[in-house]
Order: sequence, then C-alpha cells, then structure tokens
Amino acid sequence: MVGNKAAATACKLARVQVASAFPITPQTTITQYLSEMYARGEWDFDFVNVEGELTSQVVVQGASRVGARTFTCTSGPGLLYMHHPMQVTGSGRLPVIMAVVHRGYKGMQPDHSDLMSQQWTGWGHQYVEHAQEILDSLLMAYKVAEDPRVRIPIAVGYDGYVLSYTAEPVEIPDQAVVDEWLPPNKPMPSILPDEVDPSTFGRGWGGGDPQMPWKTHHDAIMGMEDVQKEIMDSFEKTFGRRYGNGMIEEYRMDEADVAIIAMGTIAGTCKAAVDKMQADGKKVGLIKLRSYIPFPNKDFQEWAKKVDGFAVVDRSICPGKGGPVYMKLRDALYDQEEKTATLQFHAGLGGKEVRVHDFKMVGDKILKAAKGEKVEKITWV
Amino acid sequence: MSERITRAQIPLSEMTITPGSACQGCGAALAARLAFKALGPNVIRHGIPCCPDSVTKTPRTGTVFEGGGALLTGTSRGLKAIGRDDVKAVAFYGDGGTYDIGFQGLSAAAERNEDVLVLTKDNEAYMNTGNQRSSATPKYSMTSTTPVGPKSRGKPRHKKNVPFIFAAHYVPYVATASVGFPEDLIAKVTYAKDLKGFRMIIIQAPCPVGWRYDPAKTIEVARSGVQTGLWPLYEIEDGQNFKLNYKPKELKPVSEYLSPQRRFRHMTEDETAEIQEDTTTKWDTLTRADELGRLII
Repeated sequence: MVGNKAAATACKLARVQVASAFPITPQTTITQYLSEMYARGEWDFDFVNVEGELTSQVVVQGASRVGARTFTCTSGPGLLYMHHPMQVTGSGRLPVIMAVVHRGYKGMQPDHSDLMSQQWTGWGHQYVEHAQEILDSLLMAYKVAEDPRVRIPIAVGYDGYVLSYTAEPVEIPDQAVVDEWLPPNKPMPSILPDEVDPSTFGRGWGGGDPQMPWKTHHDAIMGMEDVQKEIMDSFEKTFGRRYGNGMIEEYRMDEADVAIIAMGTIAGTCKAAVDKMQADGKKVGLIKLRSYIPFPNKDFQEWAKKVDGFAVVDRSICPGKGGPVYMKLRDALYDQEEKTATLQFHAGLGGKEVRVHDFKMVGDKILKAAKGEKVEKITWV
Repeated sequence: MSERITRAQIPLSEMTITPGSACQGCGAALAARLAFKALGPNVIRHGIPCCPDSVTKTPRTGTVFEGGGALLTGTSRGLKAIGRDDVKAVAFYGDGGTYDIGFQGLSAAAERNEDVLVLTKDNEAYMNTGNQRSSATPKYSMTSTTPVGPKSRGKPRHKKNVPFIFAAHYVPYVATASVGFPEDLIAKVTYAKDLKGFRMIIIQAPCPVGWRYDPAKTIEVARSGVQTGLWPLYEIEDGQNFKLNYKPKELKPVSEYLSPQRRFRHMTEDETAEIQEDTTTKWDTLTRADELGRLII
C-alpha cells in the first residue's frame, strides 16, 4: 500500500465524517482515493471537492466546530495557502487532523520546509517515517486531538513521493477494534442553537485578559506530551505496535555514545547507517523525532545525561536562522549542568538524496566532536 | 418566488441584540433586525470581518475574511454528518466578504449548490475600516480610497453585478432587497429560509457615515435608491426565472437619490445624466425580463 492510500485508509478506519481537499502533487492521490471511497459508499462520510486549499481548511473547520470528525490534506504551496485559516483552526481548538505530504517550497521535491513554516499556527506537528506509521499516527492523532485535555488540531507530515507514491506492506487494523478504541468526537463547546451556552453565543474560549487565549492554547499544546505518551501505550496495547514513546523513537541507543537526530523517511536511511556503524564498533544510535510540536524537551534532557553528542540532521532551514530542530534542541539543553556536544547538519533540502554513507559521515563527525576534537559545527550534507 | 406580506405579518420577536455596536441610522443593523426576525432561533449565524458585528441572539461562528463560502459549506456538511440538518447555516456578510475577498469561496459554494443561505448587507464600501472602495461601490462615489481630485472623479467603474453573477451559477434562489422595503425583505428571507441549496439575498444597507447623509434619513435614502431604479428589487430562480418585485409607473430621477448623499456631491450634470441613462437602460432590460418571466442569458 502506498503512503497516500494508507492516509485515506486511516480516514476510513477513523470513520471521518467530513473530509475536504484540493489536489496538489504529491498529495493528489489522497483526494482521488477519498473520492473513490465516497463514490463506492465505503462508509458514511461526506467528501467536499473544493476550489482551493484555503477552502478545504475552512470547510473542515466549520464541520469540526459543529462536532463532526474531519480530515484534510495538502502539500507544500497548498499548506502555505492554508496558513491564514490554520490559525483559526488552532485558536478555535478544533480537533482537525491533516496529512501534510511534504513538498519543499523551492521546488516539487520533498523537504520539511512546508510544515516547518506553520509553527505559529498553534497545531501539533508530527513527522513520520513509513506507510504503516502514517496510518497508525493518523489514528492516534484523532485520539490525542479529541482528548478533552488537548483539543488541538494535529498535522501529520510525511515525505512526498518517497512515501506518498511508494508501496510498502501495511497492516490494516480491524474496524471493530478501531471503533472501540476511538469513540466518536464530541464538540466542545457546542454551537448548536439548543446546546450553546447563551453567555458566549458559541464564541468559546478565552476570557477578559487578552493574553489568556494565548496562554491556554500554549498550555494545551505543552500538555499534549503526556497525552501522546499515554495514547502510544494504549495504541500498543490494542494494536501491538509502538513508535518509541510517541514523542521520540530510539533506535539502537542502548550502547550508543552519541545520537543522530533525524525525522521522516531519512530516519529510515539512518537506521541502516546505524546498523553498519555499530557493526564497525562505532557507538552511534538514532533518536527519531516524531513530535516537533510539542518538542520532547524532557526526553532530550534525559538523553543528554547519557550521551556525549547529538548530531541534528535538519531537513529544512529557516534562511537567516538555521535548522529548526537544531535550534529547538539547543534551547532544550541550555539549562543542563553538563554540556553535550551538538552539531548541525543540513540535509535532504529540495529533495536531495540522503544516503547511508552520508549518515556514516554524520556519525563519524559527532563521534569526533563528542571526544572534544575540533569539527565544523555546521555541515551541508 | 416569494409571496407578498403585509406589515402586520412581520414577526414581533426580536433576534438581534440592542444596542449592539452599530452607528446611528445603520442600514446593516436594520437589515439584521429584519432578516433574523424571519429566520427565528434555529440558526447558526456566520460572520466574517464586517460591521456591525455580534448582532444576533443565535449562536455565531466565524472565520477568516476570505473563508465565508467555505465556512458555510463546512457547517452545513457537518450538521448533516451529525444528523442536525434542522439547524440552518446562515451568513450575514458584507459586500467585501461577498463581492471581493470572499468572492471565490462563495462562487465555489454556489457552484457546489451548498445548502446555505447568504445574506449580504451591501453598504457599497469597506465601512468597517473607514469607507474604502469595494467592487460594490457605484460609479463616481467618493470613498477614502477614491477621493475626488484633479485626477479622480471618485470611483471610475460601475458596481459589480453580483446578483446576476451568482444567478449564473444556476442556484435555486438569488434576490435583491432593501431595508427601505421591509415587507419585501422579510417575504424573501421567509421564502428562502426553507428552500434547499444555495440561496443569496443582497440587501441594500445605506451607511450614513460612508454615504454621508443625515442618519435620520436612512429609510428615505434606501427607498429612493429603489424608486430611482438604481437598486431594483427582484428575484431569480434557478438562474432563469425572473421577477421584478417593485415596478413603479415611472422611475424617479436618479438625482433624487444622488444629491442628498455627499459621496456624490462632486458630480456634474453630465455625470448625473450618464448615470441616468445607464440606469434607464438597465431598467428597460429588467422590465423586459420581468414581462418574459425569465432571463435571456
């Protein structure tokens, strides 16, 4: 099953009630799969074919506000076009789930610049590695987003082409099991005329202090960390699969002296490189970052006590600032008593291939830096 | 088509909140008061940036300025999905949200024939931000972005014919109305309320601040707009069937509408004559369509 089919299948398993999307490469086939599923009447849902991404975002916003479970999806420029209404979805605390099929904005090929550019819209941001993880993460995203402690929209990002159009074996959970694990969504607050709180007329969140909506929004996203970990445990208990603790997924970190931090499909390439390096006696492991927002500060602070170096491989860059994961990691580690060596690698931008030997180079550099040898801080792979 | 009602048939219940945020003599506030009387309580009002806001006792939902058509779509589809299509998705948007920034999304919603009712209060400029021109602004109107000077005679081009554009989407119902003709307005909202599919009523809503007339004269200004033929009252069903609702034996001269408004005070006799000729030509077309009972597109 290709990645985009896994995403559409997750919609069916989650019994999405209203989906809306506008086709854009490499997300396009999700809109086609959903249209086919709608035409065949595979389950009782509404698919709205719209005239642009801005509309698809607002359609799911409107449907979510009255309590329907919703889904949308896009890529690169389409996501940038959604930017304006995305902040309304975030501020409205609407549990919309969106698949972002990564396409960088300096070309058609994948990097993470599209989703990274939406950091201020108040969503949860996740990055996944393979087709099974797409399906599983979308199911978990509904459970997290609709949790009364959270009520935050979540974007699940996966690399275009490499995942969207590439077939991999995917295990599809039993519908009855999913139904039991993921009960229907309930709107909060309700804006239906017979249920609305007449003191708010459905305007909802926030109070007299104009900063309060920002604070409650921020607190809710920070609180997602515990909920994501809890739901990962519950997912494993029900479906028998897990991805680390939900925030990060460690790979062969038991014996590692240093860690490479990577996201998305290139984390899979990194796993192959880690196998080779460890076979050669090099103590390099991988920490795959799944949740960029909220950022796993606590996990990295704990790992900083155990390893001597972090090599951050960023698949996006904010021109004039740098790699977003590297910046956030350094921020998370600033108050640590002991400094851990960190190196910044820019890789896979504009869809540039990142190969096993590239990760071996990353591993060699961070091993040197961890020993206190002088290596350049920033490397363009 | 709507059926005529008398003033005694206008519902007594008030669905709007007073005093609200409106200025004295606000045509848009009056449009809300009348329209929502006809709609009753089982409504979710959709708002996008416009003035006045927060006007009804019904629940309210809103989104980005350009998202009006999409939000109505989402609410309507969501209500169906949760089994509550008894609740009506109703927009109360301005001319900016209808004619300009929101035009694409509304056109797409009309093309999909979404089950929604769009009420547009047309005050012919961006009044919420201080009277900047919109594509609903009529020719020669002075606004803060079409001031009069050696190189400018006010707005250089005509008002966009939005009711006809939406009718050309072959939607079930498009109508114009005016706050100066409350029975007609209420009859149209009452009729449109229970139709299925995309319905739109563009309501003329004079703005004393932007149009620059005495706030006590809102009804007079609104009525003269209709009586001069500048704001004809009509209905179009399925993009074809046409009915002119107000047909005086003779139109009043356009100067009766233009001269009390200081947004037109710079107009020369020639310019007024041009507007008169244009209005008469358009009126002839409408009366012919009314005789046929349909539009020839």
